Amino acid sequence: MATEPYDVIIVGSGAGGGMSAYHLTRSGLKVLMLEAGRHYDPATETPMFNTNAEAPLRGVGTPDKPFGFYDATVDGGWQVPNEPYTVAPGSQEFTWWRPRMLGGRTNHWGRIALRFGPLDFKPRSRDGLGYDWPITYDDLAPWYDKTEKLIGVSGAAPARGLLNTPDSPPGCLMEAAPPRAFEIFYARAFEAMGMPVIPMHGAVVTGQMEGRNTCLFATPCGRGCAIGANFQSTTVLLPPAMATGNLTIRTDALVYEVELDAAGKAKGVNFVDRKTGAHHSVTAKAVVLAAGSGETARILLNSKSPKFPNGLANTHGMVGRYLMDSVGLSVNAQFPAMEGLPPTNDDGQGTQHTYIPWWGYQKQKELGFPRGYHVEIGGGRRMPSMGLAGLLPEDDQSIGDDLRQKLRNRFGSVIGFDGRGEMIPNDDCYCELDPTVKDKWGVPVLRFHWRWGESETNQAAHMVKTFLAVVDKLGGKPLGSIETDGKKAISKGGEMIHEVGTARMGAAETDSVVNQYGQSWAVANLFVTDGAVLVSSPDKNPTLSILALAWRSSDHLATLAKQGAL
Amino acid sequence: MSEPYVSKIDRRTALAWIGVVGAAAAVGAGVVVYGPKMGGKPAVKGYGTDPNLVHPAKAPWPRIMSPDQLQATAHVADFILPASGAAPSASALGVPDFIDEWVSAPYPDQVKDRPIVLDGLKWIEDEANGRYHMGFNALTPERRRLVLSLLAPFPAESPQGRFFKRVRWMTIGAYYTTPAGFKDIGYIGNVARTVDPGPSDEVKAHLDRELKKLGL
Repeated sequence: MATEPYDVIIVGSGAGGGMSAYHLTRSGLKVLMLEAGRHYDPATETPMFNTNAEAPLRGVGTPDKPFGFYDATVDGGWQVPNEPYTVAPGSQEFTWWRPRMLGGRTNHWGRIALRFGPLDFKPRSRDGLGYDWPITYDDLAPWYDKTEKLIGVSGAAPARGLLNTPDSPPGCLMEAAPPRAFEIFYARAFEAMGMPVIPMHGAVVTGQMEGRNTCLFATPCGRGCAIGANFQSTTVLLPPAMATGNLTIRTDALVYEVELDAAGKAKGVNFVDRKTGAHHSVTAKAVVLAAGSGETARILLNSKSPKFPNGLANTHGMVGRYLMDSVGLSVNAQFPAMEGLPPTNDDGQGTQHTYIPWWGYQKQKELGFPRGYHVEIGGGRRMPSMGLAGLLPEDDQSIGDDLRQKLRNRFGSVIGFDGRGEMIPNDDCYCELDPTVKDKWGVPVLRFHWRWGESETNQAAHMVKTFLAVVDKLGGKPLGSIETDGKKAISKGGEMIHEVGTARMGAAETDSVVNQYGQSWAVANLFVTDGAVLVSSPDKNPTLSILALAWRSSDHLATLAKQGAL
Repeated sequence: MSEPYVSKIDRRTALAWIGVVGAAAAVGAGVVVYGPKMGGKPAVKGYGTDPNLVHPAKAPWPRIMSPDQLQATAHVADFILPASGAAPSASALGVPDFIDEWVSAPYPDQVKDRPIVLDGLKWIEDEANGRYHMGFNALTPERRRLVLSLLAPFPAESPQGRFFKRVRWMTIGAYYTTPAGFKDIGYIGNVARTVDPGPSDEVKAHLDRELKKLGL
């Protein structure tokens, strides 16, 4: 365990913070990690094989546990006790998911681990919209390779060479589990309609991997994994970091400010202990912010000084700007062709086994929206939940043996289609400090501003149209009322929990907060290694890219430390 | 076997609730009382934002159903899912206790269901009294079935229609989330495996057949 003086303070323990700690401690640096949530131990706290009948209310979601009783999230969800946020008047809805636990959202994330593609780093060069990154795909590719090999990712397949959908080099991925019945079923329609179906890249150990347990092909990843067979910061990154003897973790430490020394360098951070309410200051040679895009922006904005009256590293008003989320939408349908299927174990590897990458890169003009989406599809004979009656026709009133027979017959015949699409950053989506509202400890809270652009609402409309066409091709019937107006069908801002981009990287100080290594332009020993640095928000889920970028940035930080340049 | 319905909750939990439930139980057989005190905004708390997930505690809120309401709920649940062959009845799996847990819960979705269920139980009781001059639970099984069979034909948006739909939804959900329910519906997962072999040839043949019919 490291003691003061620390070389680096890392704020946050999720994907960005965990990876930073992994690399910096292994580079010999003494690290203090500050996590706002409580300590969390997946080995003893994961309800692996619990049935819904063992949980209150059969495990349904409640305001206390929005994603269901067994979801790994601790002390959080759409609201965190004592830590409110606001949405500005006139803004579209925005919602903000936060846990308060060691490892953050890596404990319950969807484990979808897709690489961004070459086009994703240069979107403005491609179509004049959004902004280019200061790096290319080739700059990040080696770090993707390393990250996949470290965290364990499934989805190996013969290279397809699909546009902007990178094939990982041999040796990076393990084979995904075979497609399940519903995946074989839907694939036939998508492929017949010209949409490729390929193995999902999932952060799940599906084969033999040294030092790791293999997936049990049972129990949902969202509960976490007691045997560490999927990627969680708490099972994959923090244990080896601790083993170096160079890491100290302090939980319940809510960081609210970065302090500067007389020379204008970061000298440490101030935090409040959530349990005692006591305020503390700690110092180090460098500070890494990885508190999540929202909290990282909040800490910067709240760190005011004569040199930075509008918040640290915010001289050009870029902190909090270009907040993005994924475009999201789902259509569920029931398929008579899937009725009466012989019992089959569809529990699978936690993530989808296959998915549909965006297929329309060369047709964007005719499609009427500039960027794409991929399709994540769920279904199968999964452990029954409280909503099981949703299998039945809306007007069904059967009881007794008739009811039993209908349920048996239709079990596993519902498939859900989820689109996840790219959003183009716009001037109406940002966060700032609320002028009046403060948290329990007197720290100003974030106020969000949100407005989807036409690029996103048109894309959402296309998702619905596409999914309905697929459902029709498969002889299915959509469940519930289907909204075809993209403006109404689109998810709320933040709802996809891919909020990124509040302290973006760039090639110049005037239009970004950090450089290509997450190093702040304004304060050389201040780094950002979470989703805040993202310049665009491609349809690919951000976690793998956050990990790879965090590793690359940490490597740069470690090099500077060795050179005595911090 | 729904009569007499023996609650599946343990005695200690039941004793802890008596202070709250006592007021309702004391009113006596056949009379269902639920006023603002029971149907209004709950003063009780949920399980919080950090419950023990591995060994979940019983839902902490007090139950609001009287013994008569719980018994009537058992009759309704078993009307929907009576025992069949090796499959037990809904009441044998504790579904009535679950419905009580559900309508007693302090969360918005469940609070919304509370009056739907309690109003429905009252309608059943009134119907029994109107037709047979005795409480619903005291009726013969045939008469109880007759009263319950009146529910489904009501319009979906009527109190009776909504009651039937919601209680049926709850009964199905509660029943099939148990191991006995898994067996009945054919859920064979939740077991550790060394590999996922994918679907059997029989399953694939079914899919091929159906996809061919769809021209795929």
